[in-house]
Amino acid sequence: MEGVLVQLAAGFVNVFTPVNFAALVVGLIVGLLVAVLPGLTLVMGVVLALPFTYSMDVIPAIILLTAMYLSGTYAGAWTSILFHVPGEPIDVPLLWDGYAMARKGEAAQALGWTLLSAFAGGMVAAVVMVLLAQPVAKIALTFSTPEYFAILFFGLASVVSLGGSSLTNALISLFAGLLIATVGVDDTYGTHRFTFGVPLLSDGIDYLVVMVGAYGLGEVFLRMEQGFNSVPLEAVGKIRTRLPRLREVLATKMTFLRGSATGIIVGLVPGAGATVASFLSYGIEGQYGKRRQEMGTGIPEGIIAPQTAATASVGGAIIPLVTLGIPGSGATAIILGAFLLHGLQPGPQVFQTSSHIIYAMFASVFVGIIVMCVIGYFATKAMVRVLEFPEVIVSAYVVMLCILGAFAARNNITDVWLVVIFGVLGYLFERFKFPITPLVLGVILGPLAESSFMTTMISYSNDWTVFFTRPISGPIMLIAILALLYPVFRRMRQRMKQRIASQ
Amino acid sequence: MASPARLKRIIPYALVGAAAGYLYYAAANFQYHARAGVLGPDFWPKALLALVIAACLYEIVMTLALGRRDDVGGVLEEIVEESAEEHGGAAAAAPVESRPYLLLGGMALTALYVWAITKLGFFTATVPYLAAFVALGGYRRWGVIAAVSVIGTLLMMFFFMKVVYVSLPIGQEPFAQVTLLLMKLMGIR
Repeated sequence: MEGVLVQLAAGFVNVFTPVNFAALVVGLIVGLLVAVLPGLTLVMGVVLALPFTYSMDVIPAIILLTAMYLSGTYAGAWTSILFHVPGEPIDVPLLWDGYAMARKGEAAQALGWTLLSAFAGGMVAAVVMVLLAQPVAKIALTFSTPEYFAILFFGLASVVSLGGSSLTNALISLFAGLLIATVGVDDTYGTHRFTFGVPLLSDGIDYLVVMVGAYGLGEVFLRMEQGFNSVPLEAVGKIRTRLPRLREVLATKMTFLRGSATGIIVGLVPGAGATVASFLSYGIEGQYGKRRQEMGTGIPEGIIAPQTAATASVGGAIIPLVTLGIPGSGATAIILGAFLLHGLQPGPQVFQTSSHIIYAMFASVFVGIIVMCVIGYFATKAMVRVLEFPEVIVSAYVVMLCILGAFAARNNITDVWLVVIFGVLGYLFERFKFPITPLVLGVILGPLAESSFMTTMISYSNDWTVFFTRPISGPIMLIAILALLYPVFRRMRQRMKQRIASQ
Repeated sequence: MASPARLKRIIPYALVGAAAGYLYYAAANFQYHARAGVLGPDFWPKALLALVIAACLYEIVMTLALGRRDDVGGVLEEIVEESAEEHGGAAAAAPVESRPYLLLGGMALTALYVWAITKLGFFTATVPYLAAFVALGGYRRWGVIAAVSVIGTLLMMFFFMKVVYVSLPIGQEPFAQVTLLLMKLMGIR
């Protein structure tokens, strides 16, 4: 424990160097602006910021992207509460009580509760992140390839079973992502797979190209089809934040705890992310909260629950990223990309080889939460004014940044064409209700999943039962299969209930 | 006889299934020297493609034979939808009007831009692209359009070429001269 604190202290020193602190502040401000603008999502914002980190050192690059991720879970609440415009899907639950409070003339109080919730959720998750990271990494060091494959299988299974409006579509999306990851020259045999004579495809398809295309360009195409709109801003002049009193905070302490716990747990699960954390936490508060009957009428609990969970999910999602090298969300996948671009592979060994980078990242979360709240307290009024910026101009810049980001990665125009292709594919996925997250996580985790599967097969003479018979991988595989089947059981139970009710 | 609605519903699965079938054929023809007792490089992609084909066939059969319309959705997705519905469907707002011509125009314009960027150079291709994209999106304040197109492109050019050291396409002659002149003016070597 002492070692952890010493390394964390060194991380704080690292964060307060001028360059790193500047990266933190810039990341926070850009993340806040991205969250406010309805045309930009949190993941899109982090994707677009990545090319700007190419020439940076690894620590400021990671700090910048982490800060964007953190503040991206907070600022969208302002527009939900003030204008009934959720900046991000994360902020939809804030419409129900946050906006209702604003309509009762308590907008300042609602903004105060949001700020305090982001602070509390973020801080609790940051502490848990620091406490859990090293023990998890130590356990992960004992893993062999069957365990790694089992964890990846669990991650991919949970992505499929958690999100998406159709389980089959989510599966197809995941398989498509895993297939994209096979393009290029195979490591073991040197065989060209799906390269079709295109030289650049021999190096494989970079997952950043898929992410930039599917999340960035695909989203712009979707908005283009729906037509761009701008939000008329009223009452901007009256915006201010009033923090709640200690007595009020103590009366809602269980909501803070429930929200933080939900956020951390959901953050740990691949594919779930801040949006699910926010909705789930609101749902839990509606079931178990002291004032569950009043939810939706404009009470602080309806703000605390989603906001603490959304910000707490950041700390939760960072744990599997740094300890296992497995990103739990779109934003952490891009942070993983930044690590890889700088020649660093996150995973259990990173705590032995580059712990100063990891602890600088951890420290930046603590400092980032404080700075974010200070900016939030004083600059809400100024920041919500970016809503006046026409969405079509934002979208035009998004496309330009997508193209630039793809080109800058390898200085090759083929990558840019691939971005356009994946942009169209991303649009079609959205249009036909195929979720994008399984596709992207499939591309990211595909090479690791294939190599751990093939290595296991070589080591254990093609005996696939080894995944189920080893003491750690067996239970993980079983949980993963149950997770995959759970939506089917849930639907069967619902149908049975409906049938009984109709009789 | 299947109804047009059912046929429409199976189109994406039929297309994906057919593409997967073709890729399976391609995977079956990978060239490599097999090693005894070791799975080949085709095993993993073929397994994935078989799963894609199976998923597509499942959807097609369920739709055509049983007329199934409701999907088994992800657990948390359902929770999200249920809570949104409970609160007046804030997330699922009024149906949005579709503008397919705008979409196709945007896609075509973007493809044209990518094609033009190596011919005209980054600056000469990006300025008209930004202006055309914004105008296509229905924005009509021409002064603002001109300003955001030119200033935004110059800023990005300066940042990527001077700060991040990315050599953006300068284009072919005579357009390359425009880029080279701008680079000289901005002190980019």
